Amino acid sequence: MAAFFNFFAVRSVDLLVAFRNLLQHTRRTLFLGGAIVAVTAMMVLLRGLSAGTQETMLRSATTLMTGHVNVGGFYKVTEGTAAPVVTDYLKVLEIVKRSVPELDYAAARGRGWAKIVSDTGSIQCGVSGIDIRSEPGFKEAVEILSGNLQDLAKPDTILIFESQAKKLDVKVGDALTISAPTTRGVNNTADVRVVAIARDLGLLSGFNVYVPSDTLRALYRLSPDATGALMLHLKPKFIDQAPAIVARLRKDLEAAGYRIMDADPHPFFMKFDKVSREEWTGQKLDVTSWQDEMAFFNWTLQAVSGLSVIVLTILLAIIVIGIMNTMWIAIRERTREIGTLRAIGMQREQVVRQFLLEALMLGAFATLVGAAIGAAAGLGVNAAQIPVPVAGQLFLLSTHFFVSIHPVALVTAAFTITLVTGLAALYPSLRAAQLEPVTAMQHFG
Amino acid sequence: MRSRVRPISFVGLLFAVTSLAAGRAVASPAEKAQMDKPQMADLLKKVDERQNSQGDYRSLIYMVQKEKDKVDVAYEAEVLRRSKDQKFIILFLQPKTSQGQGYLRVDQNLWFYDPSVGRWERRTERERIGGTNSRRSDFDESRLAQEYDPAWVGEGKLGKYDSVTLKLTGKEGVDLAFPVVKIWVDKDSDNVLKREEYALSGRLMRTSYYPKWSKVYSDSKGADVWFPQEIHFFDEIEKQNSTHIVIKSVDLKTLPENIFTKAWLEEKSR
Repeated sequence: MAAFFNFFAVRSVDLLVAFRNLLQHTRRTLFLGGAIVAVTAMMVLLRGLSAGTQETMLRSATTLMTGHVNVGGFYKVTEGTAAPVVTDYLKVLEIVKRSVPELDYAAARGRGWAKIVSDTGSIQCGVSGIDIRSEPGFKEAVEILSGNLQDLAKPDTILIFESQAKKLDVKVGDALTISAPTTRGVNNTADVRVVAIARDLGLLSGFNVYVPSDTLRALYRLSPDATGALMLHLKPKFIDQAPAIVARLRKDLEAAGYRIMDADPHPFFMKFDKVSREEWTGQKLDVTSWQDEMAFFNWTLQAVSGLSVIVLTILLAIIVIGIMNTMWIAIRERTREIGTLRAIGMQREQVVRQFLLEALMLGAFATLVGAAIGAAAGLGVNAAQIPVPVAGQLFLLSTHFFVSIHPVALVTAAFTITLVTGLAALYPSLRAAQLEPVTAMQHFG
Repeated sequence: MRSRVRPISFVGLLFAVTSLAAGRAVASPAEKAQMDKPQMADLLKKVDERQNSQGDYRSLIYMVQKEKDKVDVAYEAEVLRRSKDQKFIILFLQPKTSQGQGYLRVDQNLWFYDPSVGRWERRTERERIGGTNSRRSDFDESRLAQEYDPAWVGEGKLGKYDSVTLKLTGKEGVDLAFPVVKIWVDKDSDNVLKREEYALSGRLMRTSYYPKWSKVYSDSKGADVWFPQEIHFFDEIEKQNSTHIVIKSVDLKTLPENIFTKAWLEEKSR
């Protein structure tokens, strides 16, 4: 017990000495500490932005165009005509419910691609057939700017997003025409009324409008037991297991006698050409994860992450060089002091420990401050609702900058940079410890 | 880079179309001597027979696509077809961005070839050609009698022409881009002057005008073959959009046997 207290007392003294040394060299401490604060704050912000992009993508995607897992597929009337349709979907849903105990809820969504025409303009976009009463997640994720989301339960209505409303120059109550060929290629139209205009949800919202499932069925002349895809929303703790659930579901559906398309990590609308070239008719099912359906945006995540890594590497390199340089200066300035301490009995390892403690203490304080500043800046960015330029929306999938701040990320950033600071100080500390007391005491400069 | 060249002078064309369109106001088909079913079927057959070469066909087409807030795009293409087995090719010659692209119809399948990716894609027969408001059937042989059942609407004047108006409904089991069509047929020449094409929902989608017809003698048929020199499509959903077509250099000589193949189109696309 006495040995422990002795050890603790020695370490306390070491820490106190290190702290006083930092205070004594105020200018150097502030300069180096400021750099570490800046780098830590930058790291927190960049990682927050990267995580925010991923979270926005998941939220947007799983609201607008995909479940965590999807059972879709194609129905081919002839070899050359493919429609994104699942026939007799209630039977498929039964198998899904048995196979996926992780399921929170399933939504049957119609899928289509059509021209939306107003009196003054037109847009080409995906049309989703939705039963608004059976999709609780949709209500939570979409912010209605005008109109009433519940009215989407009425026939021949439509929900559009604000940028689409602007382009079409329409408001709630105005009429739109949806024009698309049916699954057999016969032209058809549906006249609909705008009942709700929602706030944009990133770039993806520009590609989608929502109509009641029956309106979509009427447009494409589909039977009541047909839908576009079953979008399976998993309980939150199972979302990461989507790929494994996809693999399991493929096997179970195949065992139930369904023809399954080969695994292809792409969204359904990128499979039309391939499916049209294949020589089969009838129904084939396709099971995909949300990552598959969003594969065309993965490069965005990779780009943001890659950019963060490059910037952080450069910043860390600057910090390492700065710390080593500062330590060299400190050792030079304190050479006589080191010589005196060595002469009165300080061991080499104590010298190393002293310099390392100074660096680690500086690193710990500065990274804590940096992490706090980074977190505050991130929360400030979120609160300020800073709009992303239109060109940037393609990268960030959001109309506003969103920084995701997680405590684990803050601790990781602080720990990593403190560790780097300590490692950068190791070599200069070892060199300081190797100084001979007599030589060091005679040092001038 | 899309061509801004307009190979067609539209002053005369617009005059002709305007006169046909203006005629619409005075041409509300009055119900006079109503045709019975066989007579209407005969009229459709006549309309088809006048246009069918019963052999091979080659022509140049010039298309201008006009869309709201977009630069007009002009296309030049070659159309080839063979009556015997209903084969069909459209090969784009201009603009440069579309050069070498082509549609080939064989065995009831329509294929699209894009030389920039060197790949064939199967397309629906009823899709728009080159993104314009024209379809494959607009350039193919007329098959109204085979594809539609006629119903009497009336007769009256369309511009300066005495015309008969029929409402055509797609026959059971035949896939058509427009399931319901109204046609105005010139009583003197039996040429189609105007078409209105409707969606399944009953909404008018496209109005077409055929203001000029010409004829070429066909050896294989042993008679004249009529073809529209101009076709004007007006989008009735997006009112500002239209497609204007001029058909030239119609040649009914027999084409080489190997033309209607993927290999031929690929070769031509190089």
